Amino acid sequence: MAKTVNINVHHVTRVEGHGNIVVNATNGKVEKVQWQVPEAPRFFEAMVRGRSYEDIQTIVSRICGICSITHSLASTKAVENALGIKVSEQADKVRILMHYSEQLQSHVLHVGYLVSPDLFGLPSVVPLAAKAPEVVMAVIRLHRLANEWSDLIAGRTTHPVTLTPGGLTKFPTEKELRGLQERLKNAVPDLKAVAEAVLSAASAIPNFTRETEYISLKQDNPPTYTFYHGDITSTDYDGAVSIHDWQSVANEYMNDQSTAKWTKWHRDSYTVGALARFNNNAELLSPLANDVAKMLGLAKGCCNPFMNSVAQIVECVHVVETSIGMIDELLTAGIKPENVKVSPKAGKASGCVEAPRGILFHQYEFDRKGNCVGADICIPTNQNHAAIQQDFEKFVPEILDEGEDAVRLKLEMLVRSYDPCISCSTHMLNVEFVR
Amino acid sequence: MRRPIVVLGLGNPLMADDGIGVELVERLAQEAGRYPAVDIIDAGTGGMSVLHMIEGRRKAILIDSAHMGETPGTIRRFTPEEVRSAKILAHQSLHEADLLRVLTLAEQLGQAPETMVIFGIQPQVVEPRQGVSGILLDRVDHYLTEIRSELERSAG
Repeated sequence: MAKTVNINVHHVTRVEGHGNIVVNATNGKVEKVQWQVPEAPRFFEAMVRGRSYEDIQTIVSRICGICSITHSLASTKAVENALGIKVSEQADKVRILMHYSEQLQSHVLHVGYLVSPDLFGLPSVVPLAAKAPEVVMAVIRLHRLANEWSDLIAGRTTHPVTLTPGGLTKFPTEKELRGLQERLKNAVPDLKAVAEAVLSAASAIPNFTRETEYISLKQDNPPTYTFYHGDITSTDYDGAVSIHDWQSVANEYMNDQSTAKWTKWHRDSYTVGALARFNNNAELLSPLANDVAKMLGLAKGCCNPFMNSVAQIVECVHVVETSIGMIDELLTAGIKPENVKVSPKAGKASGCVEAPRGILFHQYEFDRKGNCVGADICIPTNQNHAAIQQDFEKFVPEILDEGEDAVRLKLEMLVRSYDPCISCSTHMLNVEFVR
Repeated sequence: MRRPIVVLGLGNPLMADDGIGVELVERLAQEAGRYPAVDIIDAGTGGMSVLHMIEGRRKAILIDSAHMGETPGTIRRFTPEEVRSAKILAHQSLHEADLLRVLTLAEQLGQAPETMVIFGIQPQVVEPRQGVSGILLDRVDHYLTEIRSELERSAG
């Protein structure tokens, strides 16, 4: 059936960023398909210039209200690499615990509040709370646990305050760690409930695939499903590239339809995020996470971008189960006080960690007083823009016959599945008085 | 232990007047000793996390910059029932937050405080910049007086 479709989803941009979806098709012939990101630049790389190495984390944490721990860790690692600062094994473990709290926090929010309404055919989480209150309550309990986990280790839920170049300013006590461990063990039924709810609605996940290059961290020593250490790898590349050479992987370039930079490596686009990590590291998942992946039909080599949300659920289980074991290790060793002394020097280096939505690169250069003279940050969402465009180009002709509303909804769902982080710079209220 | 009353300052201090809520709670925190029943929290751009910060409280006081069609610097006290959100949500990312929707969800799940009060402050400028503009800064004492009297009323 020949279809004419004109979709022009333009959102309020600049202040609170979003992307635009443009599809023009006449009589079944697709004329234009575009994923546009008209977001204004935010100049964080300029803001940190002239600031001390001690201030960098506090500033760049504010890049994001969802993945502030990730930006904090990437920047702190870059500062440490540039200034030649070593971190103790204890601090390293506690930082990974901190990082896991954010993976859980972000993934639960994304799957629970943003994706699940799509799966249940509802416009938002508010009506979902009326239809499936027990699932929404499980999501809220998990989100609350993740927030309190961040509070304990990072000093607060968003924008951590316990990180410092060389370690942490405050460690959790052994009693606090035991309490957290107990709560993590108790969270397993809620994780299973969310996984089962997604399974029950799995038929709503579009059956779409596109051969894709997936890029993530990979850690061989010891082999780990890593979010924090390791080198860069890809499903198109058997080896690994040092994180210090990330620019040769990202190959950032400008594109007329977007103010954000795009990236490519072996193909015209690549994808980062939970599905990328899964596709590169699935055999290293914790036992329960592996079971949940099997239950949800997620297998290595999956090239359906909608399955990213399923990979996020698998990762939620992985970080909870792994953290339970890490706390045992910390308690066995005992928490020891640390006194970090750092002196500035000139240097330039990168830091890399996995944000919930994909691999994140930070690079800084400092003068001999430790003041920043240059910065380069490459965020995961920008690394996914080209892939979203290529998905659109393949997906639209496949679904064009379903009509304008279905095409619009499915493209919006596709964008959501990437869990983009276009901008969270401001969240002002905008109100009209009704009384 | 959660205190029965919470004051949340919302906003981003790197976006000029959007940071007024955070600026005010930072100042209020300096006199926290006067309010033993009150938790004072810099909620940043916490979005859905506001849900957890207000849960289990008797009263929540939220301070945020707000487009209300007023002259810049104006402060207005209102309840969620008195307004309608004029925000258009894209539902594309988690970086979108509508405080009023979060408060609705809290009510729907039976986790909302008995009383919720919002102090909206009309911004003059919202752009990447540290610090709120002079027109708001000049009125900080007035804003704090309003919030203090709300707290004194809440104690009773």
